[in-house]
Amino acid sequence: MKKFWRCHVCNDIHYGVKPPEVCPTCSVQKAYVETSSEEAQKISGSTTSLMNKVDFRQAIELFAEGNEFQINSDQERVETLLEGIFNNERNHGLKYCPCRMITKNFEEDLKLVCPCNFRIHETYADKEDGECWCGLFVRRKNNE
Amino acid sequence: MSRLIMFHARECPHCIAMMPHVDRLEKEIGVKIDRLEVWHNEKNADLMRSYRDIIEPKCGGQLRTPTFMNTETDAIICGEVEYEKLKDWATK
Repeated sequence: MKKFWRCHVCNDIHYGVKPPEVCPTCSVQKAYVETSSEEAQKISGSTTSLMNKVDFRQAIELFAEGNEFQINSDQERVETLLEGIFNNERNHGLKYCPCRMITKNFEEDLKLVCPCNFRIHETYADKEDGECWCGLFVRRKNNE
Repeated sequence: MSRLIMFHARECPHCIAMMPHVDRLEKEIGVKIDRLEVWHNEKNADLMRSYRDIIEPKCGGQLRTPTFMNTETDAIICGEVEYEKLKDWATK
């Protein structure tokens, strides 16, 4: 079961089954102690980190960099999808995929937050021209 | 009585791509396909969710858009398909 962990040196927050061996922020070893979700939310919420479409686009480009996939080169498609992703965050709370529908089971619906774990989906896995369901991410060609 | 439904989303490129096929189908064979937008209409979203057990096994275990559903036969199509395949779905 996932829990919240706080670095006792720099207040870095980690959410996972176990804490990192080394804090990625301050590099101190064995620095994490379990904390409550309330405390973790207060600490992480103390820094304002608003993300607009441009920021998100940069974030997913960085995510794709060095991976075997890339952002779709069809700019119109990407714009449409980003519009949907941000409308979904505004209207439904998280950056849900615009090409799927939430079930209202929160744990289940976390699988629809963009970028999702599309590499295991049948539309991507083992396909030379694989892509995520909505087509935001496409498998990188050898020469790209 | 059978009802033909297209569950779609406003910002879903697959749905946008399928709209001309739906227009053509309605014009050519005179069927009516109810186009129900699901991300901006909660009632439509609830209706789509009410068909989870029928849709998900045929759509990669998820509620994907577009989903074409015949409420009488439970025939389902997910995603972008050729016009002829859509026509088969609508006429069977």
